[in-house]
Amino acid sequence: MEHVVELENVTKNFKDFSVNNINLQVKKGFVTGFIGANGAGKTTTIKLMMNLLKPDAGEVKVFGMDYKTHEKAMKERMGFVYDGNVFFEGLNLLDIKRIVGPSYKQWDDKLFYQYMEQFELPLKKAIKTFSKGMQMKASLAIALSHHAELIIMDEPTAGLDPIFRRELLDLLQELMVDGNRTIFFSTHMTTDLNRIADYLAFINRGELIFNQSIHDIAENYALVKGRMDLLDRDTEKALIRVHRAPTGFEALTGNVQQAKKIFGDSVVIEQASLEDIMVYMKEGVQRV
Amino acid sequence: MFNLIRRDVILQKRQMLIFIPFITFFIIMDAHPALTFLVASIFIPFNAFAYDEKVETNILLNSLPYTRKEIIASRYIGAMIYMILAIGVTSLELFLFGIPFRLTDIAVACCLFLLFSAFTFPLFYIFKPGYIYSVVLISFLLLAGIGPPIVIFLMDNITVVADFIINLSTTVMYMGSAVIIIFLYTASWGITTYIYQRKAL
Repeated sequence: MEHVVELENVTKNFKDFSVNNINLQVKKGFVTGFIGANGAGKTTTIKLMMNLLKPDAGEVKVFGMDYKTHEKAMKERMGFVYDGNVFFEGLNLLDIKRIVGPSYKQWDDKLFYQYMEQFELPLKKAIKTFSKGMQMKASLAIALSHHAELIIMDEPTAGLDPIFRRELLDLLQELMVDGNRTIFFSTHMTTDLNRIADYLAFINRGELIFNQSIHDIAENYALVKGRMDLLDRDTEKALIRVHRAPTGFEALTGNVQQAKKIFGDSVVIEQASLEDIMVYMKEGVQRV
Repeated sequence: MFNLIRRDVILQKRQMLIFIPFITFFIIMDAHPALTFLVASIFIPFNAFAYDEKVETNILLNSLPYTRKEIIASRYIGAMIYMILAIGVTSLELFLFGIPFRLTDIAVACCLFLLFSAFTFPLFYIFKPGYIYSVVLISFLLLAGIGPPIVIFLMDNITVVADFIINLSTTVMYMGSAVIIIFLYTASWGITTYIYQRKAL
């Protein structure tokens, strides 16, 4: 399968934080959700993809090209939606279009006006008067108006009300009908992902824990519940993280088959929600 | 790249409206034509930094299909273009007011503007947003306040240097300053590009 974005052993260090040795492939034609708690390294990873940050080690490739030699060609084909507004806040959309439009070879004015109408965005109002949802739509309209093949979004649903959030997710789903398009978006809300993501990449404390299809995740991860006396060094090998309580344990496994083999019918195995996985993983993988 | 330079006009539409009254004020106050040319030149390029120093602007520009080299080049080339335009408008206005000015006034203003730009542009990329304006403003006042006395002191005390300069023919002096300023401006351009390419956004 073709990869649109490839991060190979990418490391970036800051004074009090770092992302370590990230290996991440984003598959062409799919929606990849990028989850992690606040401060896990999502924005840093996205900035590395956009070349806003340069990795200390490793390689970032988009469309199989690297930023050293093909920066412009790469960005021509990329669209971006950031958490906050990055457009000049005092300007209206018409002026922003005048600045942003000509920078893209593939800019499509007609398409832009079409999206303005579809998203019901005012052309002559300063962008700082826009609500969060309108700003999001404006960014998205701009990304779509230059026929971006890859749209990278940093927390596009954060701060949106539930109705608007669903509207945005529906919209993204519609966009995916065009099989050439790839969407990579970060979020800390697992409910977003169940709706539209095909693949899930999970980052925790600067480390990529997994990048799998939703289907595989549902198949591999599960919650295991049972009596305390079932736990010992050997049985715990099948578990990623165990919560102990006097009444029994509850644990996350990343290998349902192995857990079934070890525990048999003595435990209850339930499907793990994305939130369960996130909460268990956040505490760190337990090394037994 | 031309598009990057053009964006200053779109961004500063409103400020442009006060450009003419701003120059007129200097003319009415009977400022030296060279000073009027200088402040007119500074107007657009330095107003532009009010936008460019913002983190969001840098994230936007760097997410668009531009290289960092181009973003900086647009600043340095843009400053020269806007300087030329500002000088054109100012000349016209001085002419309309019937105030005489010499080519030397324009030359001095250009040199001072380029010199000031060469020293301050890199600062906008070194210091954190918010601090830069004060840094630039203070350095401008310091230069204006302390600069001339220092020059006079040097001239009085280091007679060798003074004699050397005084003995230069006007042509050589103008050519010399032009070369030095072009060199400084280009060096500043290179330094800013170097800084910006390594900057984390």
